[in-house]
Amino acid sequence: MKAQHGHHVTPKKTLIKVFAVLVVLTIVTALTAQLDLGGLDVPLALAIASTKAGLVVLFFMALKYDNKVNALVFALGVTFVAIFLTFTLFDTAFRGDLGNVGSETISDIERRESMLRDRAAGVPESTEGTASDPSIEGGEE
Amino acid sequence: MANPTATATTHDASASQHHPPHLKHYFVSSEQQFDAAKLGMWLFLITEILLFSGMFVAYTVYRVWYPEVFTIGATELNPWLGGLNTLVLLGSSLTVALAIHAAQTDKRRTLVRYLVITVLLAGVFMVVKYFEYTHKFHLGIFPGAAFSYAEMSQPYVPIFFSIYFVMTGIHGVHVLIGMGVLSWLAWRAHKGHFGSEYYTPVELTGLYWHLVDIIWIFLFPLLYLI
Repeated sequence: MKAQHGHHVTPKKTLIKVFAVLVVLTIVTALTAQLDLGGLDVPLALAIASTKAGLVVLFFMALKYDNKVNALVFALGVTFVAIFLTFTLFDTAFRGDLGNVGSETISDIERRESMLRDRAAGVPESTEGTASDPSIEGGEE
Repeated sequence: MANPTATATTHDASASQHHPPHLKHYFVSSEQQFDAAKLGMWLFLITEILLFSGMFVAYTVYRVWYPEVFTIGATELNPWLGGLNTLVLLGSSLTVALAIHAAQTDKRRTLVRYLVITVLLAGVFMVVKYFEYTHKFHLGIFPGAAFSYAEMSQPYVPIFFSIYFVMTGIHGVHVLIGMGVLSWLAWRAHKGHFGSEYYTPVELTGLYWHLVDIIWIFLFPLLYLI
């Protein structure tokens, strides 16, 4: 069905059907959230929400029938959201737990390791400092 | 040319056919003007998506860092109210789509009716939001340093509620702006400004309103359910 200027007119029936599916999906996401799915809770909720958003975009916003340039703009926007999210997580998700770091400094660890190596090789303990960088030691308490 | 009156009449007729009052002189046709407006609206919607994506990224970063805090915080949100608001907004998306359908098929009274129903549904959403917010303020759940809810003294729980207030707050501002624009459209539709010839403002506001709905489609499970 076309309006006077060739605009696509989405039939009422389609709109009401899409609404019904959206309501059903809302109930589904509310119910599945009550189950304990472990690690699948978040991906499932996001999958349902994305499906709902897709239905709204395709039918209510009529991107399915619209000029392809609008779909391109939308796809670009979504792409940049994905880049924004992924590249931020590359940083924040891999910082590690700072509270998990031991109190021993790197030069302490190196000194201890060289001490153990020397001891295994039978060298007297008085030469323990040779493997360490004196400039780092100077900065320590 | 022998009959100047007839020529003038013909000219007027063709002029009104090709240059309806809404058509700006710098567009070739109504169709081109409509397409340009719609493309502009989609570009604006992208800036809106990116605005909200900043908040969704903040949500994700903190959820990755402190997942347990989000589970604890969600227990304080009422999923029934959130679910009700989801259905209300989905319904308002439907009525906006039906309003555009009415405009396209020249049913002006139906157009006004659907626009008014949409504003009313948006009002229901804001009333529910008002009760949710006041309940939290009553408990001492405020954004940022003002948080003073003794029941949830776990570290970083206030961050969940700060994210909650910022995301739902900015979303709520969008709902209020939508209510204003939709009311103005209802008034203009009542005055007979829109029909199948020209309904660009209804179409563009519809797109905006659906986007506001989509944001809530993600906020509801992320904040209330999981």
